[in-house]
Amino acid sequence: MFIEVKNVSKQYSGHVALNNVSLEVPEGSIYGLLGPNGAGKTSLIRIINRITHADSGEVLMNGKVMTDADITKIGYLPEERGLYKKMKVGEQIVYLARLHGMTKQDAKLKMKEWLERFELTEWENKKLEALSKGMAQKVQFIATVIHRPPLLIFDEPFSGFDPVNAEILKKEIIRLKDEGSVVLFSTHNMSSVEEVCDEISLINHSEIVLQGKVKDIRQKYKKGIFEVNLTDGTTFEYKVPEGMSNHDAIAKLNEEYDLFGFHEILPSMHEIFVQTVSE
Amino acid sequence: MSRLGLIIQREYMQIVAKKSFIFTTILLPILMVALVAILPAFLANVKSDEKKNVAIIDNNPGAVYAAAIQDTEDYHFIKVNQSIEGTELYSYFQNEKEGQGLNAIVQIPADLSTSTTFYVYSDQAINSTLERDIKNALRPMLEQERIQSYGIDSLADIIDRCKVSLSSKSVKWGEEGEEKVSSAMLGEIIGLGLSFLTYMFVLMYGAMIMNGVIEEKTNRIVEVIVSSCKPMELMLGKIIGVALVGFTQIIIWAVLLGIAGTILGASAFIAGPTDPAALTESNELAEIIQMVLSVNYLQILTFFVLYFIGGYLLYAALFAAFGSAVDQPSDASQFMTPIMVIMVFAIYAALFSIENPDGPLAWWCSIIPFTSPIVMMIRLPYDVPFWEMLLSIALLYGSAFGILYIAGKIYRTGILMYGKKVSIKEIIKWIK
Repeated sequence: MFIEVKNVSKQYSGHVALNNVSLEVPEGSIYGLLGPNGAGKTSLIRIINRITHADSGEVLMNGKVMTDADITKIGYLPEERGLYKKMKVGEQIVYLARLHGMTKQDAKLKMKEWLERFELTEWENKKLEALSKGMAQKVQFIATVIHRPPLLIFDEPFSGFDPVNAEILKKEIIRLKDEGSVVLFSTHNMSSVEEVCDEISLINHSEIVLQGKVKDIRQKYKKGIFEVNLTDGTTFEYKVPEGMSNHDAIAKLNEEYDLFGFHEILPSMHEIFVQTVSE
Repeated sequence: MSRLGLIIQREYMQIVAKKSFIFTTILLPILMVALVAILPAFLANVKSDEKKNVAIIDNNPGAVYAAAIQDTEDYHFIKVNQSIEGTELYSYFQNEKEGQGLNAIVQIPADLSTSTTFYVYSDQAINSTLERDIKNALRPMLEQERIQSYGIDSLADIIDRCKVSLSSKSVKWGEEGEEKVSSAMLGEIIGLGLSFLTYMFVLMYGAMIMNGVIEEKTNRIVEVIVSSCKPMELMLGKIIGVALVGFTQIIIWAVLLGIAGTILGASAFIAGPTDPAALTESNELAEIIQMVLSVNYLQILTFFVLYFIGGYLLYAALFAAFGSAVDQPSDASQFMTPIMVIMVFAIYAALFSIENPDGPLAWWCSIIPFTSPIVMMIRLPYDVPFWEMLLSIALLYGSAFGILYIAGKIYRTGILMYGKKVSIKEIIKWIK
């Protein structure tokens, strides 16, 4: 396991933010942290990247308890984005990269590479305040990932992005995973969870209420509903009656209709989220 | 470069590269000099452009007093050879206002050696320089008259010889009892100058630190930074970076002052020998030079720098801590007030200590850490016992580092706390 969170609890002046939370993020995976507002996602993230400390429990990286020295191995994109408004885009990225331990030359080289990738090259010497919100978000993303940390933590990475840029961001997140980084992110954007995440934890009221591989969870929550396509082009949903096996159901359908195709509809993460949280 | 070094470098460059820094550092002193040197000359020109006409009506036989009054820079005096009194005075003024452009009338109704009162009439506000000019013109004449009225020969000489003008020379004994001429005034000037420099610097740069902290907090950049370094590093980096800016500014000013001093000194030296008055006073000049040299500058400078750094650290830590506790500059005033009260108290204590640099107020305020960086400056030019110095500096640095430590704790919590008005009570909780 790359990251192990073990029985972490945290209180803020009488209010419980996290109650005995445990999770495991495997090597080479993208891990989603889901949950409604105020559930404790940001609290957990701040404990993992050592901005705050847990009242009890521990966080392990590669099997060892994390120390302050480990923060250089983390790239963190906070939910509330912020950069120095009066600083030039290029300077700012290089400064943050060097704070994370990169050399000046290396940081400059990578900065130019990333600006090109996000089509921001012409903005390198502009002050940040001259950029649109979307562009500033990209700059912040670059500043988070430029030092190629083994662990990337994004708090709501898609908030504030238009659909086109959200798509670019998704691709970059997957690319970073393919290059060997572990990505942990919190989100409300459920379609991105299905497309991107390997595993998730759903936090509600400071506790984990659902955890596991996205595939397994969707399997577990399926309700036996099939999408049936007929040769004449009509399509309908069919719910397998209680107690009947899928096999028998299909045989029964085949007797009644000219079947062209059928497949089981898995519940979306959106449905699972709403169902679990409102339970 | 270490992370602390990087943060210091960024803070420094951000301020020094700003236009406002270049303006205040280089243009402001030039502007000040221009203001001091050129403005009075300019104003003098404006003033002398317009000479005012004043009629003098002297009712004494032969108009002796009117004869003694000569035109001055500001006034042209028109002597009226007729006696005008009562209501006629007003109609005369009305006529001549049109005719000669008269501004005022001075009436000397009687023998001034007995009545000593003259009258100034006008329909405008009367400038006090008019009365002064006339008094100055008449006084020597009247004094002369009185002296002569006693009928004693050479009375004027006797009176002159009776005038006593006292001067003082302070002699300070060195360690071996050798005598040095020192000057209380020079000590006061140096002390007060250093006091104000410390006060201004701490306030100006303290506010700069606080605004920087608030800006980082409202920008939310702070969360990104503290995910790559310790909050204490960020706070220290800011405090040290801003201090370096201050030193840069002081060094630039010192160099400018040095250049200006050299130019002035050189021109005074060239002009000096041609001035006969300077030659006769060459003895006094030598004394002044000895006085200026008698001050132990190296010692003063060393201790000034020590107190300056200590005081700056102490207050900068407070400013940083309070800056971290608020969301926007306008909320900071509740925390600024106590700091301001202490600092203003310190500067007043310094002002009152000038008269009595060894008194209890000066003594206590130069030992207590919050006031010592400002008040000790007053005592520095006079020899302060070594143990007092040591105690005061130890206390200053002890509390400065103590407050830095506490401020670090407040800062760590404060920078991540949003949307909540924080009270002093709550801040104390964060320290624990």
